[in-house]
Amino acid sequence: MSDWGAFGAFVGPFLPELLLLAGALLVFLLDVLEVRRVELNGAIAVAVTAVGLLLVLADLGVAPFAGLALIPAGQIDSIVTPSSAPLYSFTSLGLVFQAFFLLSALLVSLGSMSRPSKERGSAVFFGLLLLATLGMMLVGVASDLLFLVLAIEVVSISTYLLVAYTRRDARSVEAAMKFYIIGALSTVLSLFGVALLFGAFGTTNLYAIEGSAVGTPTLVLLGYGLLVAGLAFKVTLVPFHAWAVDVYDGAPHDVSAFLAGGTKKIGLFAFFLVFIGPILLARWGASFNPLGGPGVEIGPLLQVLLAVLAVVTMTVGNLLALQQKEIKRMLAYSSISQAGYMLIGITVATAPAVAGATLQIFAHVILTTGAFLVVAAVAALGVGARIDDWRGLGLRRPYLGVAFSFMLLGLAGIPLTVGFVSKFVLFSSAIQAEGYFVWLAIAGVLNSAASVFYYARVIKVMFLDAPDPSAPPSRPEAPGLAFEGLGYGRAVAIGLVAVLVIFFGIDPQPVLGVVQSAAQHFVLVGP
Amino acid sequence: MSGILASLFGWAFLVPLLPALAFIVIGLFGDRLRRLEHGGWIAVGAAFVSMVLAVLIALGEMASPDTYTSLSYTWLSLPANPTFPYGFSLVIGTLVDPLSSLMLIVVTVVGFLVLLYSIGYMHHEHGLSRYYAELSLFLTAMIGLVLSNNLLEFFLFWELVGVCSYFLIGFFYEKPSAASAAKEAFLITRIGDILFLLGIFIFFYVYASDGPAGLHWASSGFLFAYGNLPFLAGSLGANTPLLTIAGLCILAGAAGKSAQFPLHVWLPDAMEGPTTVSALIHAATMVAAGVYLLAMTSIFLGFTPTDQFAIVAIGGFTTLFAATMAVVNTDIKRVIAYSTISQLGYMVLAVGAGFAMVGLYHLFTHAFFKALLFLAAGSVIHAIGTQDLFKMGGLKRHLRVTGAAFAIGGLALAGIPPFAGFWSKDDILSSVYSVTGSHPEYWPFLLMAMAAVFLTGYYIFRVWFLTFSGDRIRDPTLPTPHEGPWVMQVPLIVLSGFAVGAGLLIFIPGFANLFLLPGGVTALGIPPTYGTTDILLSVLGVGLGGAGILTAWLLWGNGRVFQLPEGSVWSSARKVLVNRYYFKVAYDAVGAKAVYSVARAADFVDQFVMDGTVRGIEQLFSRISERMRRIQSGVVSDYAAYVVGGLLAVFVLLLLVGPYLVNRVGGG
Repeated sequence: MSDWGAFGAFVGPFLPELLLLAGALLVFLLDVLEVRRVELNGAIAVAVTAVGLLLVLADLGVAPFAGLALIPAGQIDSIVTPSSAPLYSFTSLGLVFQAFFLLSALLVSLGSMSRPSKERGSAVFFGLLLLATLGMMLVGVASDLLFLVLAIEVVSISTYLLVAYTRRDARSVEAAMKFYIIGALSTVLSLFGVALLFGAFGTTNLYAIEGSAVGTPTLVLLGYGLLVAGLAFKVTLVPFHAWAVDVYDGAPHDVSAFLAGGTKKIGLFAFFLVFIGPILLARWGASFNPLGGPGVEIGPLLQVLLAVLAVVTMTVGNLLALQQKEIKRMLAYSSISQAGYMLIGITVATAPAVAGATLQIFAHVILTTGAFLVVAAVAALGVGARIDDWRGLGLRRPYLGVAFSFMLLGLAGIPLTVGFVSKFVLFSSAIQAEGYFVWLAIAGVLNSAASVFYYARVIKVMFLDAPDPSAPPSRPEAPGLAFEGLGYGRAVAIGLVAVLVIFFGIDPQPVLGVVQSAAQHFVLVGP
Repeated sequence: MSGILASLFGWAFLVPLLPALAFIVIGLFGDRLRRLEHGGWIAVGAAFVSMVLAVLIALGEMASPDTYTSLSYTWLSLPANPTFPYGFSLVIGTLVDPLSSLMLIVVTVVGFLVLLYSIGYMHHEHGLSRYYAELSLFLTAMIGLVLSNNLLEFFLFWELVGVCSYFLIGFFYEKPSAASAAKEAFLITRIGDILFLLGIFIFFYVYASDGPAGLHWASSGFLFAYGNLPFLAGSLGANTPLLTIAGLCILAGAAGKSAQFPLHVWLPDAMEGPTTVSALIHAATMVAAGVYLLAMTSIFLGFTPTDQFAIVAIGGFTTLFAATMAVVNTDIKRVIAYSTISQLGYMVLAVGAGFAMVGLYHLFTHAFFKALLFLAAGSVIHAIGTQDLFKMGGLKRHLRVTGAAFAIGGLALAGIPPFAGFWSKDDILSSVYSVTGSHPEYWPFLLMAMAAVFLTGYYIFRVWFLTFSGDRIRDPTLPTPHEGPWVMQVPLIVLSGFAVGAGLLIFIPGFANLFLLPGGVTALGIPPTYGTTDILLSVLGVGLGGAGILTAWLLWGNGRVFQLPEGSVWSSARKVLVNRYYFKVAYDAVGAKAVYSVARAADFVDQFVMDGTVRGIEQLFSRISERMRRIQSGVVSDYAAYVVGGLLAVFVLLLLVGPYLVNRVGGG
């Protein structure tokens, strides 16, 4: 019995991950048994991610579910002694990110479960989606660089396959090839960085690195530099972003939703994990680690580097987004520029900044996932991919039009949407931090203002422009309010996002409270 | 019995909830509900149950008028801080009082009848589930508006009805004129809405600096709660510039929604929507929301004397102004639309002169007879497929029910006793007359309103004679007309009943309870009194209306077609009227010019500033990648080159530039 108890105590905290694994295996098994129904596979994915999300929220102590918590409260945000060097540890920020990952996977599963299944391979889609989510969950608990890189690889390999899962579409296959080549290159860079840090500190554990004696400065710098470059691939920082536009554009729409809304965020969390240590060390000096660790001069250097990357990313992303004529490429560039905003939080690295960035990431998870799902829905209706093809869509399809407008307004950061709250918290934290961080806030505000142009343009096209007379007329049995031809799952997922955007825009406290407390713990005890 | 009915007040939230459920169900299942006429019967059912509930609530209010029940849910609250010492809360809730239950009857009864009528009228159209879903959403929003228990909630629903109106005017979105009318209505009402919001802000400022009670009240979103009235009374009548401006802003919001001069231009064009939508939204309910807003404001916030004069002037002028344009129009729906603007003018006039409840009395009767006129016009359009009056004629033999219904609606509109319109319109005129002693500046607007009575009788019976009298249809190519199905005839008959009797209801003591002011105070002018002057005024009013009808008969009766002599003063006047006093042309010109210059400025920025920058960077990145993109395998290595270049840049920043920068700017 006691063995079982110990086993349960070890396994229990990983129940969400195990559920994802079981779900993926079940989906593959059903495929082998020739039970091939999109709805069934989708339902499994929805159930698994929904239950997982519930459990993670329970672990975070979110009110109605707190009783279900699996991780003993003492294990979350516990002070880790450097010598114990655990492979994984539970931080509340990590759990918050896990919740984001599961939310994204849940929305994508919902949005794909009733999609017309002309192509076979729904098992491949949902199975790989669950496996990728599993990898993302592991990123959320990693506290060792090797564990982290391996977890990221689990995600990467699953997503390379996801992009090409239809196999027939040449564009998708081409996108997958590009994705794979650039991804492999980035992994090599990350691993090389890990190797150099191992050379400098004799360990790959993040706690141990923080608590170690001073390493060789050049090795340390090169190691962190390589890690920035390697991880920047996932976050799509300029100039490591080029793959993203082609891949988001070429991948099936639901996969784009998952890539832009979900997997991108593991890179951001990895940035938090890897770079918070040196920055905190520089801030608190000997009181943080009398032995010296990576060295107090590393943190400010990394901050400058990240600040430059943040400004370049948001500016270039926005300027290129302004130029786009196709909706998906516009969203891809918009997603790139949003990564620049999020990087501000990691650069400033105070508790409010981490909270602001995390809230911005939350906003981006739901908004981007939702926006790509709308693109998927509109494409399924036979409307073209160019922004001009969407003329008059708001009147023809009020539901999609209004929901998409909410999302665009959220992305633009208009008040009463969650995007406004997150940008407000984030930029004001940068202003509070003073120094050159104020310029980050200014760059962010200017960029947000510029971005309103291209978001608002789509709303104008949908509602105020007359429909293209040369376009093929809508089918004689004119569509219903909006839901016809969407599929229940997709309609629900889009509606859910639209409601959340406004709900958390009006009352952000439920998310903000959790995020703020997690950020507070993270800058005190995080790896 | 009254206790049971009063216990329903707490359940008032069900009244808007049922159409909301219908909206969700129809929206979700859409055209799969073919058997239920694409969800139409669900909408009708929900509206029917809502109507029953609303009538029961109103009966409860009639029995025990002074009670009110407010259900509140705090949607958002800020803790106390220096700006808001009492915190700030946004409350969502329902307020049941005599006034809101009166409005509930109007909205749900007309809503139910129009939805029922739609089953027949819209049968041949496409996109029915969209129609019924949007109409249900409109009902939800409109009921939510009249049940709001504070001004901010009111504003939210106010915007929502505007959005629904936009969608429904543009229902036939494939017709360019419909899409453009929807846009016009949306943009023009938005002008009013922005000013309305500004007015709320100014009121907030005024009351927040008026001591703790005012601040407390404003911080909770201007709760429509009667406990506030005593301290408000102190502020009433204070003619401070700020309060005046706030009141004018509210007036602008109301003028936009209720299509009052000079924001009236959108309503005639809104007739591009289905006739049923015109009947419900653009005659009975949404356009009346502006009057309701003015009435609520006059009760809970108060207008300054300057504001009151502005409201009287706008309302009085609009009655005559809109009526003149109705005189020459040849489109059956547009004549009724101008008539709506004119009648809303009467209500605004009454509210401005200090008789809020008299204005709402006319709102009540007008909702029924105007919906009746629209539905009867819809029945004509349904039968012969044209809206051009000069193609019609002789329809009374084919459309007996419709013809009778239109005549009853016309008599009510013209103010002929005992039909509904007479009592309320007459009450407005005598009420305004009663204050001309202390306010001689109201005289010109009272005279305009009297003149409009004559025109009202004329234009509405011009329509009736052109449509129904004579012995043949003028355009022989039109199909032989026949009445619509029972679902269309029943609403006509029921509304005819209201058009006959709704005005007389006020003399039932219980019903008059619905017009009580907060605190059970009897409203001025309710029920109407009939002294010697009042009777003389009534006779004059009926005489003017009757003279209008007689004139219409002389010129258009029995299939006659009256033509103005060419080249006379009258025909040039006619031209001005047909062109709607050139307002639309002027708006379009000014609007186009303003938009054009903004667009030119934007274009300049776009071309020289934005484009220049964008193109520069774009070229930097895409010139290479464009060239590379031609060979597919080239692209990936290009991206890889970016990565490697980026890595080098990272190293340069960390090892060379970074230390310099950190020394310059200092660390975090």
